[in-house]
Amino acid sequence: MAGTDTVRILDGNTFVVSEDTGDIEATPSEPTGLFAIDTRFLSKWVLTVNGERLNALSYDDLQYYEARFFLVPGMATHYIDAKLSIIRERAVGGSFRETLTILNHDEKPVDLEIRIDAASDFADLFQVKDEILNKKGEIYAEAESDRLRLGYRRGNFKRETVIQSSQPARYDRNGLAFTVHLEPNEQWDTGIDVQTFAIGPGGRDLRMGLRTHGVERLALQQDLEQWIANAPKVNSEHREVCSTYRRSLIDLAALRFSPLSLGGQTLPAAGLPWFMTMFGRDSILTCLQVLPFAPDLSKTTLRILGALQGTRFDDFRDEDPGRILHEMRYGETAAFEEQPHSPYYGSVDATPLFVVLLDEYEKWTGDVALVKELERECRAALKWVDAYADLVGNGYIWYERRNTDTGLENQCWKDSWDSISYRDGTLPPFPRATCEVQGYAYDAKMRAARLAREFWDDPAYADQLEREAAELRERFNRDWWVADGEYYALGLDPDGRHCAVLSSNIGHLLWSGIVEPDRARKIADHLLGPRLFSGWGVRTLAEGEVRYNPIGYHNGTIWPFDNSFIAWGLRRYGFADEAAVIANGILEAARYFDGRLPEAFGGYPRDLTKFPVEYPTACSPQAWSTGTPLLLIRTMLGLEPHEGHLAVDPRLPVGMGRIEVLDIPGRWGKVDAFARGRVDLHQLAAQ
Amino acid sequence: MDATTKFFEDLDRRGYEPLLAKTSGTLRFDLHEGAHTTHWLLHIDRGNLRVRQEDQEANTVVGTAPRLFGELVSGRENVIAALLRGDMTVLGDLRLVLQVERIFPGPPNSRGPHHAFQRGAS
Repeated sequence: MAGTDTVRILDGNTFVVSEDTGDIEATPSEPTGLFAIDTRFLSKWVLTVNGERLNALSYDDLQYYEARFFLVPGMATHYIDAKLSIIRERAVGGSFRETLTILNHDEKPVDLEIRIDAASDFADLFQVKDEILNKKGEIYAEAESDRLRLGYRRGNFKRETVIQSSQPARYDRNGLAFTVHLEPNEQWDTGIDVQTFAIGPGGRDLRMGLRTHGVERLALQQDLEQWIANAPKVNSEHREVCSTYRRSLIDLAALRFSPLSLGGQTLPAAGLPWFMTMFGRDSILTCLQVLPFAPDLSKTTLRILGALQGTRFDDFRDEDPGRILHEMRYGETAAFEEQPHSPYYGSVDATPLFVVLLDEYEKWTGDVALVKELERECRAALKWVDAYADLVGNGYIWYERRNTDTGLENQCWKDSWDSISYRDGTLPPFPRATCEVQGYAYDAKMRAARLAREFWDDPAYADQLEREAAELRERFNRDWWVADGEYYALGLDPDGRHCAVLSSNIGHLLWSGIVEPDRARKIADHLLGPRLFSGWGVRTLAEGEVRYNPIGYHNGTIWPFDNSFIAWGLRRYGFADEAAVIANGILEAARYFDGRLPEAFGGYPRDLTKFPVEYPTACSPQAWSTGTPLLLIRTMLGLEPHEGHLAVDPRLPVGMGRIEVLDIPGRWGKVDAFARGRVDLHQLAAQ
Repeated sequence: MDATTKFFEDLDRRGYEPLLAKTSGTLRFDLHEGAHTTHWLLHIDRGNLRVRQEDQEANTVVGTAPRLFGELVSGRENVIAALLRGDMTVLGDLRLVLQVERIFPGPPNSRGPHHAFQRGAS
């Protein structure tokens, strides 16, 4: 995967990943390039001066959409004597634009041959990590007098990259070149515009009329400033809380994604750069995390996911009526149905979570109109839970993919192949059910009952949903309880046998409210106990389980997003101090990542490693990691919409000092919340 | 009767489609075969449907080959994939196409969820 020394800039789903010189030379292990709509439009972009590659003195990624590279000719050993400086400034905003500036510091004039080698393999995002040997279509390059056109054609599928320089250049099929004479202290510059096209048979771009995202740098700048100005302000004596909050807010702005079908409205994409697309689960959970700070994202997300809700059976896409999508992609493999993402529906949690988000959104905003607008979609989602997801016929949500070639095996958030296992480490057959999804279903029914009673004028439906929820809760507490461990099983197999491992999923059950109150203390003790809690956070799988591995993707690492929902769940059951312990651990971990929490980090005990060991992953920032600090702030301050106003009930660790959150938007207008750290974590740990 | 004619006649007869209750606008489907083009005009007013075989202005104009369209309305091909492939062109409001796409049938060989209890019974 792209290493940490790569530079990434983006706007929507157009992004550039390059080396620290600004060069792009894609390989399967370093998948750099210019990408748009899930296609690589440049796989080579190499700058030379008089045939020599350049060296980076420094680079700045000024904002998420722009970067600047300071370069000199020659190798690191002798560049100190360099008589030339080269500055590469680039930005994405619809297209990719690079400004090249060359300064001659010498007392003598120089003659320079400046060249950019350009090429594209037009790889689908799903192929960038593979050696691409046999593309099914034809790659072409056409040099014209004023531009270079790189293209790919497969039937009517056509993608083109068009490169144009503001200064006259010589274009050939492999790039463009300039011959420049510079007097002492003279400088030369040119702007190079790289445009991406997805062209249909009529010559029209697929995206035409849909690019409402600012193409101009200035528009992007204003948009970011506006975004930050609109969000609540967080002040704290604990300086890192402020900087982590600000980092999250900016990353959240970068992760906003405007799907082709929504006319420019935005929702959070899953992660940068490989997941700049719609994911049902990731988008919904991120919206839930950031609701107190950026409620509009929820409205857009609910609308777009509702508009693309499944309507029929399609085994290739794992689509059912009422099901909320898992992932949408726009590249060649989706177009030719080599991958099912047009869109793919193989997730079992997005559908109940859709209902959960709508209710939570209304509680904060009072947007009754949206609750009425999405009544049909909510009912269809709840019908899916009962009619199509219960594959075993015993009242739970199960999953078993119908697309056995390219569909997902595990359709819960722990979606790796070995994430669901029995206590002896073996994997259960299909269909499988996981515990947290049953909690989401319970919560969805309870929340939909409120919506039905208060807004849909259907008290009979509300009663029915509450009755079903109560039955589900009773059934669940009977069937899933692991008596010898006193926790809930991670999963069930079709014969009702427990996957009796201790996992972080039990924390989500607190959040959903399905845990019997007299069992909650036990669950909290497990979550904060030494097998699950590392000192930084709750491990995905407990130490001592057969498959436990501190760097096992879903079998021992710590996921910040997971912890944020666990903390929220602990607060729901009144364990405010325990929630503060988790919030404190994760926020302290954020310090080691400059405020940008990774997708996951190692489950090693805190007193062993002293710092959180990042899990090597390609996606950063990732949406639900970005949303984590915001949900933790909400949890610590005890922010809860209550009968039309905002209740504040802070429980902060002593070290946090004073925190204030100003201008929290909602049905109450804008209000402020203040808190001071009073929870003594050491005392708590000693209990 | 071909699949396309049947599809549109069925829509016209249906009169109201709840999946389109929030949708209003007109779509014209231009099915090109050489120099000959067949037009189908679908008028949607908050779910109320009316179909005419007319070449009139519309909010969205969809262009494709009659053969592919026949496959789309019988569920053997998928609208979004066809759109991404460039086998279908759209002028005007793309959102209308994505909304109407939802009333196209699924693949005829798709069986839906495999209910374990049904499987056991069969």
